[in-house]
Amino acid sequence: MIPTKWIYRFDELGKEHNDIVGKKCASLGEMTRAGFQVPPGFALALEAYDRFMKETGAIEEVRQYLTTFSADPNNPADMSKYEEASEVIRGIVESKEMPQDMEDVIRQYYDGLCQMTGISDIPVATRSAGPASHPGQYETYLYVRGGSEVMENIIKVWSSTFNQRSIIARARLGLPLEYDPVGVAVLKMVNARAAGVMFTLNPVTGDPSKIVIDGNWGLGESVVSGSVTPDEWMVDKVILEITKVIVSPKLKEYVLDTKTGRTMFVDIPPDRQNAPCLSREEILELAKIGKKIEDHYGIAQDTEWAIDNDLPFPENVFMLQCRPEQVWSQRKKEPLLGKKSGYELLMEKALTPTKVKL
Amino acid sequence: MAEKKVARFPDPHEYVEKEVPPELEGWEEMYPPHFLFGKEREEWEKKQFWYLDKIHAPEPMPPLDQIFQQAWQISLSQHTTRVFCIPPAQGIAHRMIGCYQYICAIEPPPEEVIKEKAELFGVRAHYPIEHYDELWDEWLGRMQALGREMEGIKVPQELPKYMPAEEVAPNPYRGYSPGYELIEAFDRANDCMYKGWQYHFNYLNLSYLYYLTFGDVARKLFPGISESTIGKMVAGAEVSMFRPEEELCRLAREAHAVPKVAEVLRKEAPAARKIEELRKFDAGQAWLDELEGIREPWLYISCGSGWYYYEGSWVNKLDVPFGYLKGYLERLAKGEKIERSLSKIAEARDKLISEYRKLIKTDEDRSSFDSAYKDCRVIYRYAEDHLFWVEHWFHTIWWDKMREIGRVLVKCGALKEEDDIFMFNRLEVPTVIEDAVTTWALGEGVPMLKWGERAQRRREILQAATKWSPTPALGVPPEEVAEPFTIMLWGVTTDKVAEWLKGMAVVPEEVTEIKGFASSFGVVEGTARVLKSLEDVVNLQEGEIMVCPSSNPAWAPVFTKIKASVTDIGGLTSHAAIVCREYGVPAVTGTGIATSVIKTGDKIRVDGDSGIVTILERA
Repeated sequence: MIPTKWIYRFDELGKEHNDIVGKKCASLGEMTRAGFQVPPGFALALEAYDRFMKETGAIEEVRQYLTTFSADPNNPADMSKYEEASEVIRGIVESKEMPQDMEDVIRQYYDGLCQMTGISDIPVATRSAGPASHPGQYETYLYVRGGSEVMENIIKVWSSTFNQRSIIARARLGLPLEYDPVGVAVLKMVNARAAGVMFTLNPVTGDPSKIVIDGNWGLGESVVSGSVTPDEWMVDKVILEITKVIVSPKLKEYVLDTKTGRTMFVDIPPDRQNAPCLSREEILELAKIGKKIEDHYGIAQDTEWAIDNDLPFPENVFMLQCRPEQVWSQRKKEPLLGKKSGYELLMEKALTPTKVKL
Repeated sequence: MAEKKVARFPDPHEYVEKEVPPELEGWEEMYPPHFLFGKEREEWEKKQFWYLDKIHAPEPMPPLDQIFQQAWQISLSQHTTRVFCIPPAQGIAHRMIGCYQYICAIEPPPEEVIKEKAELFGVRAHYPIEHYDELWDEWLGRMQALGREMEGIKVPQELPKYMPAEEVAPNPYRGYSPGYELIEAFDRANDCMYKGWQYHFNYLNLSYLYYLTFGDVARKLFPGISESTIGKMVAGAEVSMFRPEEELCRLAREAHAVPKVAEVLRKEAPAARKIEELRKFDAGQAWLDELEGIREPWLYISCGSGWYYYEGSWVNKLDVPFGYLKGYLERLAKGEKIERSLSKIAEARDKLISEYRKLIKTDEDRSSFDSAYKDCRVIYRYAEDHLFWVEHWFHTIWWDKMREIGRVLVKCGALKEEDDIFMFNRLEVPTVIEDAVTTWALGEGVPMLKWGERAQRRREILQAATKWSPTPALGVPPEEVAEPFTIMLWGVTTDKVAEWLKGMAVVPEEVTEIKGFASSFGVVEGTARVLKSLEDVVNLQEGEIMVCPSSNPAWAPVFTKIKASVTDIGGLTSHAAIVCREYGVPAVTGTGIATSVIKTGDKIRVDGDSGIVTILERA
């Protein structure tokens, strides 16, 4: 039997690998392959989770423990039971060492990343990548440095499939509690000066000719979570010109504490609060990338991006994620002009005065 | 920004009475009585909404120059109401206040009239689209014939002491004197101009209406698409208005190929001196012959908009085109490009259309879009082509004719200088001429009225008026606007009216930031040059920021000199926006108040990304 491949470089992946490595990894792979600038890295397939859980005996221990566990996920009084179960199970998983053969391979990939970027012990993020969409359910660890930390944090990501929220979610859906394989993306940390989201249509009106970029200083979390009012730019997709600019007062940003790897929500100094977090050339570069991404996938996209503080433009513009836009793309396409000819439209126009409202 | 709350615009009658500065006393006499606000029509006038026409009349109006305004009030309006019968639209009425022109789109007619017109309109609007090419050829032939007719009007050199012997006896006497000839010359030129302005609007109302229709279609499919993008989709590259500039570029290239010619043209000297030098050698003469070849019609282009006598035309202010030629040659010497590539512009436009078209989600919409676009492209050419032939070529002939008549009036002592003729309106000039001719006819020792002194007084009034900034609007804002020009040219919409209301309460000296449309991208800082009078274009220095009421195609060559452009007005046809983008110069248009707030020499920042102009330092 040929052993199943359980680790991939991003450029070996594409969207067809969704169920093998998880959506986020497949998407990063697809973007890398299509030539978009995503942080370099590699992906651990669901298979790696499976091997780890089985070869270390973790899955047996978890099953053993669960034979004694009983709780109702719809009963609020039982929530503490799930909390306890989560603690126990995560304890079991995190007490296991990475099997030696796996560790050797992962270290090879990590060293490869260090060589490629020319940075020894390069800081990476370890992100979970579920095969189905469970956004935000599992955990992500930032600023992980060196082989041992990488091993430790990959295991932590796996173990996060047993966080309380996830166990309850599985219990509610009637899924097995002891097993929920996820992929892990290990990618270079972007030292984000500014970050945010970009839609390749106007999410408010559905106008397909617009790209809308929201951004704040620091990591993208503040924009994604909606905890600040970001700067907003609208760019015309065809002529690639900025058609609307809203520079908001930005009071707080997420920055990384490199010692703990944790993010901190800190005050933005006054001189940066009212300054736009992107330059004109960065905005236009993002829009160009957005346009290409949409062309590549053939459908409007909802993306995350970051601007790296250490690299020169345009190498500093990174795409972190993209997924199909959900709202407008799902709607039934109705003609907006009522199936009229140019002549009928003229008659309509000529008969309708323009309202002036004050 | 300093603001107080303003509920509505001033009452026009009270405004005329209280707000016109005393230095302008006597201004009413300069214009025909039906152009004045007055008791007889007070009730109606007070109910209307009047706004300052900064597009056609940014400057105080010299009386004779008002002829075009008088002509278009009738011609524009009748083509809407009586010829093409645009259903709810009516005409545009004019009034003068202190030498400034206010206009008013009259509210829609009663419902039964709208219905009646709708039936007529249906047929009349469609025909020109289907026959445009023939109609255009016919139109151009008609216009050119009229121009030649005007050019052919004979103006006597002088009112001679005695008619020359050979015109009386022994040859047969033709039956009328040079005095009569002078009277006739003005009347005929006057008729030609009036008729030319009848032609001016032949297809213009429709072309704007088709443009607005296409604009609506584009906005429904792509909400928030910019006006200038719509303009770019529709704009033709090979239209008559661009020809003068193209011809100059061509001549510059030819000169560039002959170093001796180029050397003369690059000198810092008046055009007359350069011509004299070029005449002295064969290659120079050959180049002058080329120039002569394009003189008519392509140098018949106004140095401004064509609406003011003092602007002059390239053909009789050769320093202007020679200045441009000098600039082109300097750029050619540096290996720079001087021409706009027409095929590139056309290509860019086609790409623009096809990319937006691809974004349309349903076949039905795509087919509606295609149909509206096709119709608009067919007839919008008219809006671009008529401009050269009427406002530039035809007007140039008129200005020359008027000066010819002015010279005779100076010779016979009626006026002090030839341009004095422009100080009398088109209904008064016949009186001036008649008085001059009468005095001449009566014999020796008969006094004339002192027309020269009146002209001088009127110049002073006009001069005083340039220092006055009248209110942007008067009366009651309407609930709806149906008149296509009002929306298209003046951009009178909810936002515009609100902007004017806001502007009413502004104290210019206290303003540090003004807002307009982000029309061309980029951010620059620099020194402002306010071009309130179109003659100021000559003063514009390399690298300055141009601040003007609105720019027009004849200024094309200045866009290579300036760092940025700011305008008061930029409707749907904003020329400044389109040209600035072509040259990559930042622009903020439609600020409403730039020329009254910014002064020449102020340090300003133009942010073409956000549409904000900041006054950094007052001069």
